[in-house]
Amino acid sequence: MPTATEPGARPPASPRAKRAAPFTAVSFAGVVLAAALTGLPPQPASAGPRPVAEQFAQAAVAAGDNLSQPFAVIDKTAARLYLFDRDGHLVASSPVLLGLARGDDSVPGIGSRPMADIRTEERTTPAGRFPAEPGTNTAGEDITWIDYDAAISMHRVRATNPAERRLQRLASPTASDNRISYGCINVPAAFYDRHVKPMFASRGRAVYVLPEVAPLDARFPFLRVSGN
Amino acid sequence: MTLSRLSTLLASGTLVLAGAAFAQGNPPTTAPANPATGAGQQSPTGGPMGTTGTTPQNTQSGTTTPAPSTGSSSTMSTPAPSSDATTMAASQPRPARADRN
Repeated sequence: MPTATEPGARPPASPRAKRAAPFTAVSFAGVVLAAALTGLPPQPASAGPRPVAEQFAQAAVAAGDNLSQPFAVIDKTAARLYLFDRDGHLVASSPVLLGLARGDDSVPGIGSRPMADIRTEERTTPAGRFPAEPGTNTAGEDITWIDYDAAISMHRVRATNPAERRLQRLASPTASDNRISYGCINVPAAFYDRHVKPMFASRGRAVYVLPEVAPLDARFPFLRVSGN
Repeated sequence: MTLSRLSTLLASGTLVLAGAAFAQGNPPTTAPANPATGAGQQSPTGGPMGTTGTTPQNTQSGTTTPAPSTGSSSTMSTPAPSSDATTMAASQPRPARADRN
């Protein structure tokens, strides 16, 4: 069952592991540097979702794209949200619900259309770099805007429609059933209040939504620049 | 007559010295409890006075910088990274609107 995790909950390393820590750190730094220099592949099937997000975070920090600010990475393939500090260290992660349709773009003008007029294939969560900002929706709920013009936000999971089974989808071990929203990112309420809301109380901090169709470097040019 | 004038001058001088001493004993503060009394009337949005409804984005010239890379879902341009992360923080929150659930 996927749950929210925090690095601090990991068990302490053994003395042998501690002795090997410097070499491990150097090796990891080498992997990160190589990824930054060569550009990341579009999420190969062999790579786990967490390493992809963490490698991406390291590349973003190396390129200075996060502006020395904490940031978030959303891996749509894994349906998981990762929060990093300004130095690219993982702070916490959680499963999330995403747009029902597969795709990396929003239909132009979709932000001003009524929900009832949005077709199934238009219910995408767009990929890219978004300067997040705290805000409020018309129901008076405090949310985090990801793409205000496209009406994409990150908010506490809404279980108002029992037929959608959003809570069950979040709790399930699979990622494929986490695609149910109209594009917004639904976050477990406790995780949102504890991590997301404080992190994005300031405007302009980046939320990176990794693409599921397009190549990574097509959406994040700093990867391509780093590879030169 | 002369003594009376001398007394008046001494009283005036004493009053001036007392006022100067009092003024020197109260240094100015840069963080008053009530900003309105220390900094004068200010626009809540940081824009010029006398232009109601003006937002900082409309009034500031050349201070906004593009984001490092765009998050726009339809157009993906590649502006250079910005080192000024505080510009947007000064702007006001957006109006409430319906999200995509």
